Amino acid sequence: MSLSAAQPNGTSPSDWQDRYWHVDQVLEKPGPRTDPSFLAGREVQEFLRDKCKILVIGAGGLGCEILANLALTGFKDIHVIDMDTIDVSNLNRQFLFRPADVGKPKAIVAAEFIMNRVPGVIVTPYYGKIQDKDHEYYMQFNLVICGLDSVEARRWINATLVSMVDSDNPESLKPLIDGGTEGFKGQARVILPTITSCYECSLDMLNKPTTFPICTIANTPRLPEHCIEWASVLEWPKVHGDQKLDTDDPEHISWLYGVAFKRAKEFNIEGVTWSLTQGVVKNVIPAIASTNAVIAAACCNEAFKIATSSAAYLNNYFMLIGTDGVYSYTFEHEKREHCPVCGGEALEISINHDWTVEQLMEMLTEKQDIQIKKPSLSTPLKPIYFQQPPQLEKNTRPNLEKKVSDLVAAGGEVTVTSTTLPFSLSLIINYT
Amino acid sequence: MLKIWSMKKNEDAMAKKKPKTSAAQIRVQKDLTELDLPETMRTEFPDPNDILNFTLIITPDEGMYKSGAFQFSFNINTNYPHEPPKVKCTQKIYHPNVDLEGNVCLNILREDWKPVLNLNSVMVGLQYLFLEPNADDPLNKEAAEELKKNREQFMYNVKASMKGGNVKGVQYAKVIVQ
Amino acid sequence: MVDTESQDIETATTTLQSAPDAKTRRYDRQLRLWAATGQAALELSRILVLSSDATSTSILKNLVLPGIGHFTILDDARVSPADAGNNFFLEGPRSIGKSRAEEAVRLLLEMNDGVQGVADTRSFDSIMDTDKDWFSSFTLIISHNLHPTRLDKLSNLLSSNSSAPPLIIVRSSAFLAEFFIQFHEHTIIESHSETAPSLRIDKPFPALLQHALSLDYEKMDSTEHGHTPYVYILVKAMEGWKKSHGGNPPKTTDERKEFKKGILALQRNIDEENFEEAEAQAYRCWAETKVPSEIAQLFNDPALEPAAHAQSRQPFFHLLAALKRFTEEVEPHTLPLTSTLPDMKADTTSYIHLQRLYKARAEEEKAIFQTFLDKNVDIDEDVIDLFLKNAHGLQVLRGRRWGEFERDTDAFSGALASYPKETCIHLALSALANLTVKQPGVAPTAEALRGEVLAIVGQGTELPDALDEAIGELERAPAAELPNTAALLGGLVAQEAIKMITKQYVPIKGYAVIDLIDTTTATLG
Repeated sequence: MSLSAAQPNGTSPSDWQDRYWHVDQVLEKPGPRTDPSFLAGREVQEFLRDKCKILVIGAGGLGCEILANLALTGFKDIHVIDMDTIDVSNLNRQFLFRPADVGKPKAIVAAEFIMNRVPGVIVTPYYGKIQDKDHEYYMQFNLVICGLDSVEARRWINATLVSMVDSDNPESLKPLIDGGTEGFKGQARVILPTITSCYECSLDMLNKPTTFPICTIANTPRLPEHCIEWASVLEWPKVHGDQKLDTDDPEHISWLYGVAFKRAKEFNIEGVTWSLTQGVVKNVIPAIASTNAVIAAACCNEAFKIATSSAAYLNNYFMLIGTDGVYSYTFEHEKREHCPVCGGEALEISINHDWTVEQLMEMLTEKQDIQIKKPSLSTPLKPIYFQQPPQLEKNTRPNLEKKVSDLVAAGGEVTVTSTTLPFSLSLIINYT
Repeated sequence: MLKIWSMKKNEDAMAKKKPKTSAAQIRVQKDLTELDLPETMRTEFPDPNDILNFTLIITPDEGMYKSGAFQFSFNINTNYPHEPPKVKCTQKIYHPNVDLEGNVCLNILREDWKPVLNLNSVMVGLQYLFLEPNADDPLNKEAAEELKKNREQFMYNVKASMKGGNVKGVQYAKVIVQ
Repeated sequence: MVDTESQDIETATTTLQSAPDAKTRRYDRQLRLWAATGQAALELSRILVLSSDATSTSILKNLVLPGIGHFTILDDARVSPADAGNNFFLEGPRSIGKSRAEEAVRLLLEMNDGVQGVADTRSFDSIMDTDKDWFSSFTLIISHNLHPTRLDKLSNLLSSNSSAPPLIIVRSSAFLAEFFIQFHEHTIIESHSETAPSLRIDKPFPALLQHALSLDYEKMDSTEHGHTPYVYILVKAMEGWKKSHGGNPPKTTDERKEFKKGILALQRNIDEENFEEAEAQAYRCWAETKVPSEIAQLFNDPALEPAAHAQSRQPFFHLLAALKRFTEEVEPHTLPLTSTLPDMKADTTSYIHLQRLYKARAEEEKAIFQTFLDKNVDIDEDVIDLFLKNAHGLQVLRGRRWGEFERDTDAFSGALASYPKETCIHLALSALANLTVKQPGVAPTAEALRGEVLAIVGQGTELPDALDEAIGELERAPAAELPNTAALLGGLVAQEAIKMITKQYVPIKGYAVIDLIDTTTATLG
């Protein structure tokens, strides 16, 4: 948004008198716990309403809530990414969707709803995967809020935002606020890439997904779940060949349920139901509007405080358990020392333009402050030289004689692994 | 936002450039380049630039499965090592712990997988199945019954199946190496 | 809407069900938490909310979505420009000047056509003066930032009648908030406790003991041996141990180590996980199965006194009385056995057999339990099953009145010592509310707020520094209803409302105090 649109108190033509009467009370005056850098009044209002650009990843249970909260607090340039379409089972909590929207893309329907309901807010949807977008795309935002149910997508965005941090450009630091819920429980956290603990640092806090030994499934089932896994893991591919199981297709679920049901009967196992079948094969996580509301609000509150500096922000993990009273725990999750994402650091080195891979490797082995034994090297796209296994060693051996500059562009990255390194070392190569 | 940006300046030491290669990719590189495989196992990469998909060939030099060459496909997704590699036997073989679709019953491939395990542990585990087939937790129940009831007959069946023979109505792949 | 019932497991697993209907699919993700019984309770509920400000509509949103039966908003306000800016259930400038309750009801109802909603634009005071009983026609009442004089009247009214509905009192200002549930009595069968009922391995029932003793490891082939469930292994090992130890279980640490060693010695090879499980579960042999102390305490509940019991029509207390008798009169003086068996290494036959032993015994004990039930009361079989299955997690909560906390000096000074920040937030919010009565329309100063706090706790009380922080925030933005605070309260209060209505899970006991600067919560009182 251009500065010319700015009016007194960061209001724009769509704003009405007193629109932000509530929010402005905390933007016009600091509180006892407000950081001295807080620029009370017009400057912070303008930043929030005219300049700040925020990305919401996920337009589902958390995403719907996040979008509504951000719009009401005064963020006006909001982008949202989601690759899913609306299912009837979303309607118990994803309140921007109606039965008539079933089948439509979540991001698009959610964006339209918010723009209709909250005048002057622009929500730009993208119906697709976060992996479709590159660094340049993510660089345009000031903040990222994630309401995802996928570990994989979270790891990806976390690694992307960590890798974007550039010490010469403070604005390359994109705070990542992440939320998640399950039933009456949830968590919200603030990740300042490279400064605080990141998503990868805390991977071991995740519960392991339940899996059963395949031989139990095949031969000695005891639980209804074993019968369901038998149907989905063993029988489906046997009967349907290459046709992929679509866990969103009720007919597929019905087929699995029928097969699992028969097997359960055969083994005198009780408890195979349609709902359990769906729960097991889709790995359904119970979800309710109220828990999503708490976690989304906690995330948006952090986004608001970080964007405005109007109050201290969460450092850095908030966990809620609502099954027995209201129990929560706020703590600082510590960085993991050898975190593969934020723990390793890239080393910038300059080498002669004519150096071969072998010369580079010698330098890595001999240089006092590196001293890596038997290094293996790769670019993000392919191996340069691998010590093992034999086929790859043989395959990459010819590269030893090649010039590094023929394989890696200036400023390019080389990943080095070795038994003597705790995890890996990243080199940024420049040429002299 | 200003607060965060100024913070970045103060913590320059920590703000070195971070790697862009995915954590899964780096981890697979580390696992592969630190493999310590015996002569009875080797890997084959159909596309040497794609280190996430490859074949493992096990050629046991002792036990009942000696002189066979058994192939397993390894498919690793970007959630590795949070998730285990997907491993399947690509031939139809007669083995108590491998079914006719190529599913393998090895605990560390499913319920006992942990991110601290690596590709080497999986490969060693697979090789062990050929040295000590386990009849008590079977996938191919008939083969397991045979092994328990009549070891001689079982060994005979193994030999026949490895030659590409027919055992109890099932035609097996020829896996014998000359 | 109440009539689509999910089948019970028994029927569901003996006949093939068709794919679930539209309603079950819509509510699938929540039915996995509170099941058809919880859903039915929600659908029968009638909720009254005493405002349609941003916090109130946020709470209602999270109750309309899961499908409560009915809600009424009582609010005579018109939409102000400030309301239109912070409330998602108003349509911006288009709503300004209209009835706030009517606008909110209309937009809330868009989310779920299974819910009824009514906008009541009468004034609170007129109803309090002429139609008091109206308040008691609801299942639950929720108030946000209700004027203290009105709040006192309402809280008095509801606390004076033991059949009046619970009241959830919510207060907030900018980043600080709290809420409290005033209620009389709340009984919970399905607390969804995370502890499992006892398997009674230390006190095996006859069929279990007999079967365990009949097992002969030596005659087993390797598959049977490696798939013998740990329950049998432990029961058998324990009998053996007792015989050679004068009928006593392993008592000392050394004895217990020896017992475990004996179990592992039975393992034929290290692949036999069932013996490892048995070793890991060996504590079950010496952790004596008794009536859990929390449940034993319930047996002293005044509602079980003969006189009280006769009057009380609540099935819960009839069941509790029968449970008490069961534990007193039936060997081995424990809670009735449940048929819930954890998973364990076993083959199909032995696991199913074990499951059937437990089931048969549970049925026998249930039959005995039923003979203790008052013959004149008719209790649904399903309720009895649910009660017995969850007997180890039963709860009876007795609520307190709003404002009692401050009057309880011991509890209050305890809270001040253990939760200084939260207690100060609570005090500061009370002070702010009092000032709206004493100086309506005047912006509160830090000094005035401090004066009010001292009026509550008594002059001369030493107060922590956290009080200045709380007061400072309230002075900064006394009337700010921030959208994020409203949304967060909307979630937390709705969670509690759902727990109260469904009588599942455990509601908060005390004041939930929330600080959205550090992002912490705590429970006081």
